[in-house]
Order: sequence, then structure tokens, then C-alpha cells
Amino acid sequence: MTTTDTGARRRASDVRPVITDLIDPATVEAIAAEAWVALIGEDEVLVPLPGELPVDIVSSWVDVVGPWTGSVVLTTARSTAEELSRALLRDTAPAVLDDEDVADAFGEIANVVGGNVKAALPGPSALSLPQVGNAPLVRNPADVCRLDLLWRGEPVAISVQGALPPLPGSTPTRENEVS
Amino acid sequence: MKILIADDSRVMRQIVIRTLRQAGYDDHDIVEAEDGADALAKVSSEQPDLVLSDWNMPNMTGIECLQALRASGSAVPFGFVTSEGSAEMRERAANAGALFLIAKPFTEDTFKEHLDGVIA
Repeated sequence: MTTTDTGARRRASDVRPVITDLIDPATVEAIAAEAWVALIGEDEVLVPLPGELPVDIVSSWVDVVGPWTGSVVLTTARSTAEELSRALLRDTAPAVLDDEDVADAFGEIANVVGGNVKAALPGPSALSLPQVGNAPLVRNPADVCRLDLLWRGEPVAISVQGALPPLPGSTPTRENEVS
Repeated sequence: MKILIADDSRVMRQIVIRTLRQAGYDDHDIVEAEDGADALAKVSSEQPDLVLSDWNMPNMTGIECLQALRASGSAVPFGFVTSEGSAEMRERAANAGALFLIAKPFTEDTFKEHLDGVIA
């Protein structure tokens, strides 16, 4: 008798963890909170409340490649990214921040948050250099851990999102968390 | 004492310099390098007493820089300041001859903990 592989039965090697199996939002929030205090300032808090991102946004991210592959993405208003960069530079901030300064500073925040997220995930894995621009697309809505936060009243979103599309026949383990 | 700070992020180099000062190490010459290859060249030309290096950098990573230094016979004290502080990375750093690995984000207390005894 001939059988056809319909894709319904997958081999064990096809089982791929999604981010919600590996890290919870509270851990990502604690990592971000620690980064904010150390980099931005002692009294700088991230409030876990959603805010509406404006049209003019910018993202910074690092990619993690390993047993789980994806990106750790920070997204905020361009003006908030500038404010974050100024806070990061403190008294060494120039009077006028150019795009390169903002990309460097905002990228470094993603690097620190992403590096610590990577350390909390199964390894071995590699971390990319930070990138700044338009965020990578969400490929699998079930493979996203997203936090919506406020910093100084301005929205900051942190998305730990897989880079790969869902496997055929795979069942999401959790509801889509992307708003 | 001369300290070489290697990081491809100018902002992070500023933060490392600022944290060194906050930790009380404010009377030292600072030399900056923008990647591992630049650091390798500046260890030769500037003869620093300590290297504080990021891990993940273009052109040459921090660990490649350390390996190249040790292969060339340099015993310059070398520590990492990096966003990746997993046990695996710490082991790789130690095996390559690093004195310590400071994970970002860090505070002045973290710097004191690792640098007291290293910086005169």
C-alpha cells in the first residue's frame, strides 16, 4: 500500500520551538527594565501599559540565530528614539543629534536587550550586530512575544519574533499576541 | 595607566568611559578603537596597560582580537564588556585568556567588582 506524506505527520526533527515556549513576557520586561535603568538612568522606568505608536516610527533590532531564530525588535516614535539617545549620552550628547548618533544609541539599546534575551534562550546561538530602520516582518504570529510599554509616557514596543514562517500543519500553541 | 576601549558603538565607548570615571578610575589615559582590527593595531602602537573590548564587532570580533594578540605573544590584560554574558561566552573568554567578562547592562559597581586589582 502506498502512503502519501500529507505533512500532517511531522518528524521529530521538524519540531521547532516558538518563542512563547522559551521565554515569557515578564522575563523580557525584567531584561528591558534593567537595561533602561543602567543605560538611560536610575529613575527611568518602563510602564507596562499600551500606547498608540505614531506614524513616524523607527525600529532597532538584533537577530538571534540558533535553536530559536528570530529578532529582538524595539520600536518607538522617531522623536522618542532621539530622546532615548540623548538620555543615553547624558552630558556627552551633542546639541544636535544626527541620524548616525540616534542609530548608534538606539541600536545599542536593542543590542543590550537582545543580548540578554539571547542568554535566556537555549544555545548555542549567535547574535548579529544591531540594525536600525524598518522592523523585520512578523513571519509567524504564533512565534512572537510582544510587550507594549510606556517610557516617559511615550510608547515603546519590544517584540521577540521568529524569523521563520510556521511549519505546514503546525498548530499555534498560543493566541496571536500581536496587536 | 593607559586603557584601550574597543567597541564599534561610539555611544557605548562613551558609556564605558563614563562608567570608568563613575567607578573612580578617572585618572587614566583612554584610547579608543572602533573594532577588533583597530584594537589589535592599537595594542601594538599605543601599548595600553589594559584592553576593555566588546565581543561582537565588524571586521574582527573581540575574541578574534584576543586570540590574535595571544598568538602574537602579547600578554596585555584583556577584559570583555559585552551584551552577551552566557556561561558559554564566559568560558570561551576565559579559555582565550580574558581576565573577566562584564555583561551589559553594567553599573559602576560591576566595574569596581571586576577592575579593582586590575587597574592600579
